[in-house]
Amino acid sequence: MSQLKKAKAAFDLINWNRFRFWFQMSCFVLLVYGGYLGLDLGKHLPTFSCIYNTEARGGACYLSILQHQMAWPWQKLFSVAALTILTGFLTFAAWFIAINKLWCGLICPLGTVQDWMTALRRRLGVRYGRYTLGQFRVLAQIKYILLALMFLIPLGIGAGWFHKDWGLPFCMICPARMIIPAFDLNFTNWVVDFSTTPKMILSSLGIVVVGLFFVGIFIKKRFFCFFCPMSAFLYLISKPALLTLKKDGDKCTRCGDCYTVCDMDIREIADEVKNPRIMMDDCTLCLKCVAACPEPGALKANYAGITFFEATEAGFIKRSQKGIGLEQPKR
Amino acid sequence: MNSPNAKTVALPYNRSRQAREAETMLDHLTDDFDDNPAAMAYFYDLFRRAYCKGESLEREGVRVGTTCIHAPEELIYAMGATPVRLCNGSYHYDQVGADFMPAKSCSLVKATLGMLSSENVIPKVGKLDLIVNPTTCDQKKKASAMMAGMGHQVYDLELPPAKESEQARVYWQRSVREFAQQLRSLTGKKLTRKNLMAAMARTGRAQAAFRTLHNFRRKSPSVVLGKDVFLITNAYFFDDIERWTEAVEKLNAELVQRDKDGFCAAQKKAPRILFTGSPPIFPNLKLPLLVEQSGGVVVADETCSANRMLYDMTAVDEWLVNDMVDSLADKYLKPCTCPIFTNNDDRIRRLLELAKSFAVDGVVYQAFAGCQVYEMEQRSVAEALNKEGIAMLYIETDYSPDDMGQLTTRIEAFLESLKSRKRKRA
Repeated sequence: MSQLKKAKAAFDLINWNRFRFWFQMSCFVLLVYGGYLGLDLGKHLPTFSCIYNTEARGGACYLSILQHQMAWPWQKLFSVAALTILTGFLTFAAWFIAINKLWCGLICPLGTVQDWMTALRRRLGVRYGRYTLGQFRVLAQIKYILLALMFLIPLGIGAGWFHKDWGLPFCMICPARMIIPAFDLNFTNWVVDFSTTPKMILSSLGIVVVGLFFVGIFIKKRFFCFFCPMSAFLYLISKPALLTLKKDGDKCTRCGDCYTVCDMDIREIADEVKNPRIMMDDCTLCLKCVAACPEPGALKANYAGITFFEATEAGFIKRSQKGIGLEQPKR
Repeated sequence: MNSPNAKTVALPYNRSRQAREAETMLDHLTDDFDDNPAAMAYFYDLFRRAYCKGESLEREGVRVGTTCIHAPEELIYAMGATPVRLCNGSYHYDQVGADFMPAKSCSLVKATLGMLSSENVIPKVGKLDLIVNPTTCDQKKKASAMMAGMGHQVYDLELPPAKESEQARVYWQRSVREFAQQLRSLTGKKLTRKNLMAAMARTGRAQAAFRTLHNFRRKSPSVVLGKDVFLITNAYFFDDIERWTEAVEKLNAELVQRDKDGFCAAQKKAPRILFTGSPPIFPNLKLPLLVEQSGGVVVADETCSANRMLYDMTAVDEWLVNDMVDSLADKYLKPCTCPIFTNNDDRIRRLLELAKSFAVDGVVYQAFAGCQVYEMEQRSVAEALNKEGIAMLYIETDYSPDDMGQLTTRIEAFLESLKSRKRKRA
């Protein structure tokens, strides 16, 4: 047990950003090139490991198969066959419940691409954009609309209201469809599909979204995550998740250090002192806030009730001195 | 102008009233206690030289006076200038400054004005090139024009009256950026990533040393006394930051040894006191001194001459000048528990947390007569503490030594009640 405690104390001192960089890198390789290594984690992953990355992927995003199933004719959808959907959903939920939104902050290949773009901007010495938080909060509600449409349009196809070419509506506009396969030098999706009107509309919309994605990510950290319907979906089912972000309000000085480093501009992380369950809907569980908190035990990442990473004073000082580029002070 | 100081200018400095006042306090701080830490010699000596002998502490380059903890020192250091905190604790200057302010106003503001209007200023920090006056309480706000009237160049650093909202945060970030511009025109230096990083590293190291010292005060029985810690943080007002940090690190090393040896700086059962309210500033350390002379020990504080000034640290996400300046601005606003803000739940939460984590027996709340904001918050703080079963002694006082006798009686009675309470519980 004391061995375990020691390991945890050492982990609390970790240079979290660097650790996260390499962790994301490894996950990116496994999910984007895993197919070549014989890896197949199935089609129910709660992360944007894009299904259009046909040969190379190490597993596929659940949204694609979900939209596909939702578009079944209603006779089939409301029959025993729906059990397939249920088992699929349960597999997806099991993946998710195991590590909560860590799928977003540490694993999602599209998130990783965004972090790389941010790093590039930082290297160039360009600062991120600033705009009023209030307006952006309203914009971020779009993800719930996208989530709703992602169910309603396929259901409409099943009912016969829409043409089947409206199928996979979210995939068609998701930037991952173009960006992720491109890492396998697959550019087949970088075109406007003129075969039918719905396909033309959706594929041109997709190109516009990718354009916005590249502009947005240069202005705002994790730009796309604000609009991600997967993020919204995951948040809605996050209650039973085993991995949790906890805040001890009594220990918080509301210094705002966590808010300063938050990629998703979540004010509550700094200001909320009553609710210990602090994971808000936009949160990607990147855990940068835990690493940036100087108050011992104020922020904690728990797994099944056991703390595996928490804010410590020593860790904070070590990390900030690393940031400044200084060695540890003489003792 | 015809100040009471005029008569004393002719006397050798060490016989002047402010020198005697400082000397009396220092003698109490050193001689009334056995076993002062060896590393404290640096600080005792520093204050003796600066306050009793009137030795000069003049610095090279641009000198910037600050009247509050809200002026970001990192920016001042980054531009090659030196900050000096002007908040003053001298009764002599308090009387001089009484000319400027209404009778019922805060000793601290009066003493600061008194010092700035005097010819023979102590501590001798040299001519100030700029005074940064954050717009905090009303008295400090109005002091701005008076300082300007004395011939000082004053810059009002605009602080919002509330700190919770996003507007306040953005407003303050803009104020701080404007201040950086002002410093640039003053020093002719540009704020760069490199010089700001170096400045933040220096302050960061000082804060880390302070936090280590702060954590030693959790120990029970205590290894260090509160009067010494107040003297140390007071030295931060004017001392060279690197020398100060080294001296604190030395003291920390000594405290490690003390802790190992099972040393007790106070009686084992000495009531543990949390100090809050108007800041004790040398030579006005009378209240913490009285507490410790009467057998208590000040184990923690929530004042802007110590904890509030040094405790909260800056986190930066992207080490680019813009982001660093904004992060600094956040540090100077968001965690601040100053009572000038509209809503101050943070202060109460901080007091409760300190009381809990430092195993505090009682709270001493000092309010300078005329410091309305502290006087007004007294009720809510007392209620919150009482709810948690923590006793609080509220003391309204000023820089005058006249009430020492009366205060000793009150403090002794308070400590006695804490002791009997403890016995009953045990």
